[in-house]
Amino acid sequence: MTSLIKKASLSLNRVCFKRGIRTILDNVDFSVSQGELVLMTGQNGSGKSTLLKITAGLLKPQQAQVRFVPHDGQQGSYPWPRLKKLLRRKVCYLHQHPYLFHGSVYDNVAYGLKRQKMSKQEIEQRVVQALQEYSLESLIHRDCHELSGGEKQRVAIVRSWITRPEIILLDEPFSNMDKESRKKSYALIKQMCQQDIAIVLTSHDPLIGELSFDQHIHLYQGKMTHKSV
Amino acid sequence: MNDLTDASIQALQLLLSGDAEVWNIISVSFTVSLKAILIATVPAIAMAFVLAYYAFPGRRFVITLFNTALAIPAVVVGLTLYLLLSRSGPFGDLHLLFTQEAMIIGQIILAFPLLVAMSHASLQSSDQRAWETAITLGASAFVAAVTVIREVRFGLMAAIIAAFGRIIAEVGSSMMVGGNILNYTRNIPTAIALETSKGSFVEGIALGMVLLTLALLLNFFLTAIQGKAEVIHQ
Ligand SMILES: Nc1ncnc2c1ncn2[C@@H]1O[C@H](COP(=O)(O)OP(=O)(O)OP(=O)(O)O)[C@@H](O)[C@H]1O
Ligand SMILES: [Mg+2]
Repeated sequence: MTSLIKKASLSLNRVCFKRGIRTILDNVDFSVSQGELVLMTGQNGSGKSTLLKITAGLLKPQQAQVRFVPHDGQQGSYPWPRLKKLLRRKVCYLHQHPYLFHGSVYDNVAYGLKRQKMSKQEIEQRVVQALQEYSLESLIHRDCHELSGGEKQRVAIVRSWITRPEIILLDEPFSNMDKESRKKSYALIKQMCQQDIAIVLTSHDPLIGELSFDQHIHLYQGKMTHKSV
Repeated sequence: MNDLTDASIQALQLLLSGDAEVWNIISVSFTVSLKAILIATVPAIAMAFVLAYYAFPGRRFVITLFNTALAIPAVVVGLTLYLLLSRSGPFGDLHLLFTQEAMIIGQIILAFPLLVAMSHASLQSSDQRAWETAITLGASAFVAAVTVIREVRFGLMAAIIAAFGRIIAEVGSSMMVGGNILNYTRNIPTAIALETSKGSFVEGIALGMVLLTLALLLNFFLTAIQGKAEVIHQ
């Protein structure tokens, strides 16, 4: 298995996060490798969204050590500005309640691609294709503010996926979805993993059996425990 | 009462007859105020964005300063500018006193705090997720800022319209630093003040009508662009 040798990975070690005097995350360690599927569970308020936002470089932890393989071999405690740049480049976070920009579904899905140097035709072609793969092509010209909760979640998932980050963090992606949408989403997630994208998702629903996870991590009172999968 | 009706009819006739003097005054007003708002808007919104999205020492103090600046009367701005620009003042060599440029500077000073305060209020209440989403999808800090600004554009449009309304109707600063020179620095408010003091109301009423119509049009415009926003009670 050559793939095991040179797998890219990201580890966050000794992550601490406080809000005021409350400790939300207390020395949490967590790592994810290319193409892995990770389930993160924990009660409401246990810090799942907080940890995901830190991983995406959107929230500054009081302390964290980060290591990218193969990007740099050494354990880095970089200054935050440098770290956040690296994290933001590799990781894409999707909010628990996704935010869609004013405009059409097309505008939203194309947003990330417009940030990469890409021709208009290529953007259009990729957006159409991505929406088709997720059976959303009928929504392409709809105004995002008219979409249902489940539709919004699915559009937001495509919008993250299309930028091809190394890691996608999905915060409660299925909460508004019906059975049919969930099934399509499970299929898409499997496809993303096959494309070597690592996925971390949080969920309050039992998903065992629907998706096969490589890791299951659980947050409880600021501490992390690994569970068997 | 009859006098007012008569004067109003005459005022309307004056406007419709295309009276050169009156229309010149109107054009001075618009040229000056449009230039002032064009210059002030971009830096004011950028400033408001920084105040809403970046933490730095003294941030709250700066916000308080801008809110206080809202209350500065136009005459005080005019007086200060007059002293700065007058021949013996520090900027006397620029020979700006009694020019349209001086009026534009005065109006920028009047518009700026209003633009910052109102834009800040709407950016402050904007959804933080918009910024985070832009960043996580690969936008640079600058593009993310532009995205957030686009998301709250209705609020910003209201700020621009309010600021334009303030400067096109202000008399204090334009009178002092413009000097009310016919065909050059006489604008609608200074002309109204002058005509009224001379006891000839027709021209004053005609110009007042223009201001009212403008206010009405701007507000129709604002309502129209916001028309798509959700109505709660149909
Ligand atoms: N902006 C904020 N200001 C203050 N406290 C916050 C803020 N955001 C989150 N918290 C607190 O941090 C703790 C962790 O919140 P977080 O959103 O990470 O929990 P979560 O595990 O995602 O919960 P849920 O399952 O409800 O989504 C909570 O106690 C919450 O009250
Ligand atoms: Mg959460």
